[in-house]
Formats: sequence, structure tokens, C-alpha cells
Amino acid sequence: MTPRRDAAGSWLIAGTAAIALAVLLGLLGLLLRAGLAPFWPSPIEEIRLRDGSVLLGEVVDAGTNAIALRTSEFDRIGGAYRRVVPADIVARTRPVDAILLELEDGRRLYARAGAEAPVAEAASPVRLRLQPNALGFFARIGAFAQSLGHFLAAAPVASNLAGGVLPALIGTVVLVLLMSVVAMPLGIATAIFLHERRGVGLRLVRGAINQLAGMPAIVYGVLGLGLFVHGIGAGIDRWFYADRLPVPTFGSGGLLWAALTLALLTLPVVVVSVEEGLARIPASLREGALALGATRDETLWTLLLPAVRPALLTGLVLAIARAAGAVAPLMLVGVVKLAPALPLDGTFPYLHPSQQFMHLGVTIYDAALASPDTIRGVPRAYACAALLVGVVVVLNLSAILLRNRLRDRYRALES
Amino acid sequence: MNAPPETPPRSAAATPAIDASGIALRTESLSLWYGARQVLADVGLAVPERRITALIGPSGSGKTSLLRCLNRLNDEIGDARVGGRVYVGGTDAYANDTLVHDLRRRVGMVFQKPNPFPLSIHDNVAWGLRLFGLRHRRELDDRVEAALKAVSLWDEVAARLDDSALDLSLGQQQRLVIARALAVEPEILLLDEPASAFDPAATLRFEELLHELARRRTLLLVTHNMQQAARVSDYAAFLHAGRLVEFGDTDSLFTNPRERQTEDFITGRYG
Repeated sequence: MTPRRDAAGSWLIAGTAAIALAVLLGLLGLLLRAGLAPFWPSPIEEIRLRDGSVLLGEVVDAGTNAIALRTSEFDRIGGAYRRVVPADIVARTRPVDAILLELEDGRRLYARAGAEAPVAEAASPVRLRLQPNALGFFARIGAFAQSLGHFLAAAPVASNLAGGVLPALIGTVVLVLLMSVVAMPLGIATAIFLHERRGVGLRLVRGAINQLAGMPAIVYGVLGLGLFVHGIGAGIDRWFYADRLPVPTFGSGGLLWAALTLALLTLPVVVVSVEEGLARIPASLREGALALGATRDETLWTLLLPAVRPALLTGLVLAIARAAGAVAPLMLVGVVKLAPALPLDGTFPYLHPSQQFMHLGVTIYDAALASPDTIRGVPRAYACAALLVGVVVVLNLSAILLRNRLRDRYRALES
Repeated sequence: MNAPPETPPRSAAATPAIDASGIALRTESLSLWYGARQVLADVGLAVPERRITALIGPSGSGKTSLLRCLNRLNDEIGDARVGGRVYVGGTDAYANDTLVHDLRRRVGMVFQKPNPFPLSIHDNVAWGLRLFGLRHRRELDDRVEAALKAVSLWDEVAARLDDSALDLSLGQQQRLVIARALAVEPEILLLDEPASAFDPAATLRFEELLHELARRRTLLLVTHNMQQAARVSDYAAFLHAGRLVEFGDTDSLFTNPRERQTEDFITGRYG
């Protein structure tokens, strides 16, 4: 190869790497910026119109032809947006004494100090009282942190338009953990089986697993719906919960079925990485153990499996990434827009596998596309997306850190 | 070195005469196939007890394959087929009621390339002991120390028993895996070119170690190094193309070989 070509190659590699990095950083930046913006306290404006009326509210969209203003939502959430043409505006001020009242049901009311009396008719307790125009920079940061905390730690209200996403957050984490608990042992067992045996049949099994890895996620959703929900779940209901029928217990989507569906979805990833890990262990290690008088099982359990732990965690990382990306199948097997209760709580048996639950991925879809109030919904979708990325990153990082600690011990094996 | 026997063996290669000490390991018309390829043909070898027996022969003559028949490690190779008999201290190694892992415990093996486990130095040696149910911490430590002292590795690693065995030098690793094999106290130790990774000084120390070990157990040593075979072994077997050409005490085999092939090989005319 000529030196010129080499230079071109390295430029190409550097360029591709730079583009990949820029895309990643851009994505994260966009998510964070758009996702965090709604938590920043925005000023309340008072707009005096040509016809003499006075509007008090937040500017939610400032276009060139018109501005959109959210005024006090006395009737329902998202029901008090006003479109104002600049030509109609006589005066636009930010009164220092303007007060934002956020109610428990998510509605926002705006008033001047001393004129809060009509607000009391709203028939919902006030959750938050803020005077945004009077806040200094640090007080704004305080308000920002408070509403961010509310977003993370509270339940949603007003069909996901306001309030927090705690149930979706818990649902996502519990789902991924339950999925790992199912997928890992199954995947490891399959990988060991494939590694220990030889034959034409196994080549077929391996081919099938590789095919499964490329299957669209929604197909798994349909499979889960047919096999788990309508098949096994309906059977369980007939045998064990007959007294409750026709109300389904396991015969409708739920946490357990969603976890099993995701486990099927991620199984190929686990199998492939564990099998590769087993293949990387030198044969001399296995023979050394056998020559000492260990049986095959003893060799596997006390020597090979401990040595394959880094690969196992790699499989887990990949499985979590694939599971977090699969939203479509979940909507078929148990994730709902609003679940009445958490799948994990303080009442026995603590984990409720038959219960429907919420998921961040579905919440994103719901907020972005199925929301009755897009001005609230779209930023909320960004916030949920940023949170989902955060959850995946945290789960992956913990697995990677664990793996790196293990890998230090086994690094000499892989060289 | 042990005294050579009084009368050099004169019988056929397959049934050599041995001095008064017993036979630790005996093969009778042992044959081995890997698939359709025959690797060993009709090997009859009697390995004397508590002596060092060297197995010499050109590459591909089946030395390693023979060793792997003796502890049934060939069982792990899918298409390997064994014919004939192997007796270890009187028990038929290939009998139906023989437990393979029991046999392997009695017949230890050290491989050409050191294969320490990815564990600490201590745990490498203790691995086999734990396998056989030894749990008592103190006793484990004592046995580990004894095994490491037997291969004169103790002084080098006593201060870092909990370090990874993979960080040791190649020579240390080889002594460690010998200690690991010794810890479970096998009657017979099979050594497959164990000194190929050593420098000359380490090789000398290693040969002293072999003599030390042979006072209590039987050693069967595969080596490529003719000088080494002549120096350390009491008996020598010459293997060629899967057949046992000549077997006898080392002195006569090297100074006065009966077979033309043996003479050609040890004088370096081929192989």
C-alpha cells in the first residue's frame, strides 16, 4: 500500500470518528437543552391589548407573526392559550408582583399580588406558588431544581401533561432488572450448551439465534401478546383465578409478560457474547482442570464461568441497551399510558408481576404524539427522553465498571 | 542419579525387563486413532515405579498423545478412539467402572505451556485440594506451602500468595502448575516437555527438582532434548511414528542402542 493511501485512510477514520462524536454530543445537548428548558421558571408577562383587555400569562411561543400566551387555566389544563398579533399589543410588561400558582392537577393560574381571590375558586389545592419576575438568578436555580425534583419524584397528573414521571421511571428500571434476571441465566445456559456440544443440530440452533437477533422488535411484541398474554396468561387465569373471570389477572398485559417478552428479545445478544467469551478461554485451562481430576461440571462452575464473567457483563450491557430501545413491543404486552399503581410497592408481595405499568419509552411517545396539549407535551417528551438516556447510561456504566474491575484480573488470559 | 539396573534389558521392546521395583503404569497393545488417522500402534510400555522415565522421539511420533492416553485426557477429543489396555497401579484405566476423575487425580499432568488458572498463586495450588473437599483453612495453607516448597517456588512467592498467578514469569508459572499437580499427591506425574520454556540455568534447577520428586513418585517425562533425557532419566523409551521402537535403561539405550532407528535418532541423524 502506498503512503498516500495510508494518509487518506487515517483522515477518513479521524473524520468518521469526529462525525460520530459530534452526532453523539449534539444529540445529548439537544436532549438536555430541550428537556430541561421547561423546568426553568419563565417570566410572567402582562399584555395590554388595543381593545382594552389585559392578559396575564407566560409566553410559550414567540413567532414573528404572532405570539402564543398561556393565560390562567380556570377550566382545564391546556385550555387557555391565546394567540396575540403584535399589531394588537399596546403594552407589554413584566410586573414584579405577578404570581404563578400551579395547582395539584397541573393547571397554571396567573395573578397579580393581592388579586388572588378568583384563583381560590379553582377547586384544587395549590401545589406551588412562585413569583418568577421577582426572582434573582440563584432563586431561579432553586425553583428550577425544585420543579426538576418534582418531575422525578411525583406521579403524573392530567393524563401525563403535568406532574412527574416517577411511575414510568420505576416501571422502566424494574422492567429492565426483571428482564435481566430472566434473560441472563437463560442466555448463559444456552451459550454453555452451544459451547460444550458439537453437531449439525447445533449449527442450526446457532443460525436461528443469529436470525432472532435481527428480528424487528414489534414481532416480539406480537409473539409476547399471543404466547404469554393470550396463551399462558389466559391459561393461568382459567386454572388459578377462575373466580375473578371475566376480569383477567394474568390474561392481560403486565410486568411479567413484558419482562419475558424483552428477555426473548435480548436473549440472542446474551447468548452470542457469552459464547464468544467462552470461546476466548484457552483450551489449556480447561484441560488443566480436568487433568487435576475435576469433572466437566466442576470445571465449568469453578473455573470457566468465573473466567467468563467479563463477557457476561458485556452481554448484560448490550441486553440493557437493546431492551431500552424497544418500546413498540411493550405497548402490546402491558405498558399503559397511565397505571393506577406502581408495579413495586410496600404491600405484600411487593412486586406485582400481573400489574400493568408505565414506561419512559411509551411516555415519550405519548407526550410527543398523543398529547392533547403539544405546548406542554413536546418538551415533556424531550425531558423523558433525556431521563431514559440517563437511566440506560447509569445501568450500563455500573455494568461496565464492574466488568473493568473483573477484566483486570483476567487480562493476561486474553492476550 | 539412581543406580542403573544390574542387567540391561535384552527382551523385545514391547516387554522390557525391569529391576526389582514395581511397575506403576503399564500399557498393553495400546492404539489410538484420531478419526481415521492412527496415532499410536500397539504400544506396550511398562513404567517403573519411583523412577524417571523419558519418552523421546521425533515430532509427531505420538509422545504427547501417549501421555494423554494415560490420564484419559483424549476422552475430551470428540473423535479419539483408544484400543488396548492401560493399567495404573493394577487398575484398568479404561474399564467401564473406572471413574475418570479419580484416575486423573492419581495420574497428574503438567503441560508443555504453563497453564495457571486466572486466580491467585495460593488459589491455584489450593484449587485441586478444594475440589476434593479440603475446606480447613489452616490445612489448606500448610498443603499449599508444602507443594510450593517442593518445587522451590515458596521463597519467591511467599510474600505475594494473593497476587495473580498470571503475573509470574514463565518459569515460575511452570513450577506453580507442577506444585498444583503435586498438591493433590498423584502417584504418577506426566510431564509434557515441561522445560521447553526454561533458560539453561532454570533447566538445571528443574532437573534437580525432577530427581527430588522421583524419590516419592513415578515420573514420565516427554522431552525433545536428548541431553536432558540422558541426564535425568533412569529409563528411556523411543517412540517413532506411533510405535514403541525401543525401551530400556537410559544408559544402555543411549550408549548401546539395539535398534538402528534409535541410534540414528539419538545421534541426530534425523528427527
